[in-house]
Amino acid sequence: MGESLDAARKACFTRGMSKAYFTSTSPRRGRVPFGHYVLALALGAVLTIAVALVVAATNPDDFWLAAGIGALCAAYPSVSLGLKVFVSNNTVSRDERGEQSVELLWMRQAGSGAFLDVLIATIVAAVIVMVFRFEVDALPVLLALIALSAVDAGLHYFVIRHRALK
Amino acid sequence: MKNDLAGRRAARDWTQADLAAALGVSRQTVISIERGRFDPSLPLAFLIAQTFDCAIEDIFTPD
Repeated sequence: MGESLDAARKACFTRGMSKAYFTSTSPRRGRVPFGHYVLALALGAVLTIAVALVVAATNPDDFWLAAGIGALCAAYPSVSLGLKVFVSNNTVSRDERGEQSVELLWMRQAGSGAFLDVLIATIVAAVIVMVFRFEVDALPVLLALIALSAVDAGLHYFVIRHRALK
Repeated sequence: MKNDLAGRRAARDWTQADLAAALGVSRQTVISIERGRFDPSLPLAFLIAQTFDCAIEDIFTPD
């Protein structure tokens, strides 16, 4: 089996296809130098401290409290950025032909389905609010719409994927 | 579109994962194409045909 598959790959390659087609089949996992993790953490620490100092400087009356809250808020995204810059290039391989995969179709279908659902739900809710003269705050409503969109799109994707593969 | 991708793949004793790796797409894509639930794009259809060393219309036919 291996030989014939290799032959097919070679045949494709000799017909001018990009070598990149086959790079995604051998992801470079587990080859991250230890120093890259150190650099990622160092970058995360520097950014966290910088944000904490900026937040603290704008709240001099509660300097250390503000610095602590700023550090708590900044730590996760800062370390994530460090990992993205120094680690993910060694652990995540680019999907060279991702646009050809069926997952993109599923995502588009899920997105359009969720959009229609949220549109209809918004119209119905607006009519109810208008008819019964409810008074609601805009912020929770908008947050609920965002949550509904995300959950609905996820459910759509799950159902579409399940139907396509069963 | 109908296709005989599963038969051609089986004739070469390739798994769906093997074919997906050769084409550079996900295994779900291969499954969906074989079951006729996903029509590949033209570039992917050309790639499939080249992988099996035949023409596109040898593999894919209209319903």
